[in-house]
Amino acid sequence: MSKSKIKIEGEKYDQERVRADRTDELYKHIPEGETLMSISGLRVVYVTDEKETVAVEDFSLDVKKGEFISIVGPSGCGKTTILRCIAGLLQPTRGKITIGDRECTSPGSDRGMVFQDFALFPWRTVKQNVKFGMEIAKVPKDEAEERAMRYIKAVGLEKFADSRIHELSGGMKQRVGIARTMVMHPAVILMDEPFGALDAQTRNIMQEQLTKIITRSERTILFVTHSVDEALYLSDRVVILTKRPSTIYKIVDVPWNRPRDRANPEFTALRKKILEYLEMQNVMED
Amino acid sequence: MLKYDEHNKYHRFIRTVLITAVSLIAFVCLWWVVSKIANNAAIPEPFETFEALIDLVCNGDPVTGLSLTTYVVSSLSKFLRGFLLALAIALPIGLILGNFKRVRAFVNPWIEVLRPIAPIAWAPIFILLFGYIQGATFVVFIGIFFPLLTNIIFGVTKIDKVLIDASKTLGASNMQIFLKVLIPSTVPYLMNGIKVGLGIGWMCIVAAELYATPLGGIGFYVANMITYGAFPQAYAGIIVIAVLGLLTTGLAEYISRRVSRRMGMDV
Repeated sequence: MSKSKIKIEGEKYDQERVRADRTDELYKHIPEGETLMSISGLRVVYVTDEKETVAVEDFSLDVKKGEFISIVGPSGCGKTTILRCIAGLLQPTRGKITIGDRECTSPGSDRGMVFQDFALFPWRTVKQNVKFGMEIAKVPKDEAEERAMRYIKAVGLEKFADSRIHELSGGMKQRVGIARTMVMHPAVILMDEPFGALDAQTRNIMQEQLTKIITRSERTILFVTHSVDEALYLSDRVVILTKRPSTIYKIVDVPWNRPRDRANPEFTALRKKILEYLEMQNVMED
Repeated sequence: MLKYDEHNKYHRFIRTVLITAVSLIAFVCLWWVVSKIANNAAIPEPFETFEALIDLVCNGDPVTGLSLTTYVVSSLSKFLRGFLLALAIALPIGLILGNFKRVRAFVNPWIEVLRPIAPIAWAPIFILLFGYIQGATFVVFIGIFFPLLTNIIFGVTKIDKVLIDASKTLGASNMQIFLKVLIPSTVPYLMNGIKVGLGIGWMCIVAAELYATPLGGIGFYVANMITYGAFPQAYAGIIVIAVLGLLTTGLAEYISRRVSRRMGMDV
């Protein structure tokens, strides 16, 4: 969390001649399908004046390179908390998060994050938002321009490159958020209910577009959602959490090729099974 | 016959102008009635006042021989210096106080003690310390400083925390967050502070000049005319003050609205 830690991480990148805007290069030696990130024994306790609440208890997960993992769980469980710990925005009470052989203790551009409420800078244009991380990493101007435009095109916003954020619809805003994160080539992308603030129709379109983007360029993504449907549509694996204190109930492999068919009987059957479990968890709480 | 169309920009504009004109005429009539009823030299009739105003604009101050421009420039330059000084000091202090909770907790009592003091109460002290001209500048400074400071502090504390989170995950250091996120997101609040501050500052300059600044200033003119019992002339000066005040705050309002829109925020 402190300033010095960020600096040390920056120095590490320099030593290996990798810039903060290309942290995926740090892990080139790890082959696709091997463990890239590992989370072990994560425990998060919130302390308030009156009591201690255990939000997450003993959460461990190995994320393979190029994998898309969704985390679902009953509402109010520590899905977002887990993601914030990985991002370095929250210090876990116990547990260790490593990418390759590096331990993550503070926020860094190697773990890009897409936020539910977009978190875009309202005083910047679309392009300036996408360029933000590259400005921080001191990417040469020409390269930054070229890369920003490439990603803006990839999310279909080339006509809006110079628009301001308040001129965009919710779906467009989140596409800016995705481009801003992807352009940095982070080793891992964390997505915190990225489509949660969108209407159902936009949501489906965004899921489809995300599928296209991830099949084109292999990215390692950890995706938090409360929609089982969304998780099954997008992921290679779905992690199901128990209610608070959250721990892993079950990890479900999703074998089907993309793009997926939501009407497929296997799809609906699996969705029903997971939903039933979540339902049960919610009922138990009452 | 022309018919009024709510959706026509020019129609709306003309209507606003007409209403304003009628309102001003009604005001002058009211003034005339009051001056007739009061029948007191201290409330001159509108007509005499306008005559004095035209005389002031064309021939300047009958007593000192100084022109209206000299007075206005004198007032405005003091005003501007006070404003710039307030901005230069309030901006860094506001950013620091907004950012560091503990420093804010420590300094807050000072602010709360000093802020409610009417700026004009400082006028005799400042004039004693800095002379007539700079003294008035410092009164303006005090008037603008506090609204500016409190608005900047408010802006810094109101920053959307998720923007800071996003910057961190994009690799920004604390210094970079300060420069690239915190400062720009404070700008609309700063503009709001300027808007409020200019209004108060304008009142301060005139009030401070009432303490008689020998080298002019529109407030001095008003005060001087009253000591000579030349009430229509004094009222003419007050009208000048009102118009200039309207212009400064109008300009600030316009700029602030433009900036807020440009920054994609409304305060």
